[in-house]
Amino acid sequence: MKLSNIGIRRLLQVSSALVIAGLLLEIVSLLWFHPLSFVLFAFLAASLIALGILVYLVSLVFVVEPSADEPNLSSSSPETSNRSS
Amino acid sequence: MIGILICQIVVSIILACFFLFRPSLTRTTDWKIGAFIGLFVLPGLCIVGGMNVHVQRSETTRFCTSCHVMIPYGQSLYIDDAKHIPAQHFQNHRVPANMACYSCHADYTIYGPLKDKMAGLKRIYLQYVSTPPDPAAIRIPGGFKNVQCLHCHLGARSFEENPVHTALMDSIKSNQMSCLSSGCHDTAHDIANLGHLKFWKPVQ
Repeated sequence: MKLSNIGIRRLLQVSSALVIAGLLLEIVSLLWFHPLSFVLFAFLAASLIALGILVYLVSLVFVVEPSADEPNLSSSSPETSNRSS
Repeated sequence: MIGILICQIVVSIILACFFLFRPSLTRTTDWKIGAFIGLFVLPGLCIVGGMNVHVQRSETTRFCTSCHVMIPYGQSLYIDDAKHIPAQHFQNHRVPANMACYSCHADYTIYGPLKDKMAGLKRIYLQYVSTPPDPAAIRIPGGFKNVQCLHCHLGARSFEENPVHTALMDSIKSNQMSCLSSGCHDTAHDIANLGHLKFWKPVQ
């Protein structure tokens, strides 16, 4: 399956879920005063956040979605109008 | 510091929740910028801030003595005897009391803090996966180096004007003769005799 077929929305959801999970773990690691809290942060929380950021960046690079602010050129293009006629 | 970081994390979570439940928001340019901030900038800052807090925390005396094998070493800081070098430094604030372990055991080189963190991870492995060592049997690999003492004492008047130090200065600087040599400052963390020693009780 190509990345472009997955869709930016699905990738954004995955990215958000990973970032949220990582940030929640980071809060736990900050409030937990224990030698393992550093391991929890470095190997789990930071990894999840970094993976979430990576998925977000991948969605920007490989998946392109037309912006709502841009005018819908396809409807007014000559090709479209020719086809309709 | 932690409070500010947690506030930043909470803001980041709230922003990320928008894109988890309403990913279609990113169709507009404003929300695209919001996604960039919420899913890239803020989480990145949270990683940096979190690492900073954890690294600073790992330098505290409380953190070092939170491992079971280090508890007797923490107790040895309260020995009521001026000959005990770590206790004397800790009790008289010759080193910051909240960073007593790190002040004397840190590797004062460019990559020293990184090496210390890697060594700390190895100790965590020994504690939780392998067999933790007996506290009294713990030895610093390669021995305690004079550079740790000289980092603070070199240049100090009381150190430089001491006739014994002056006579042995070259040997001390080149680490040929340890500061902890027998007859010099040879009492450090006397874990084996901890039960027979008197302890200092701070007022607070």
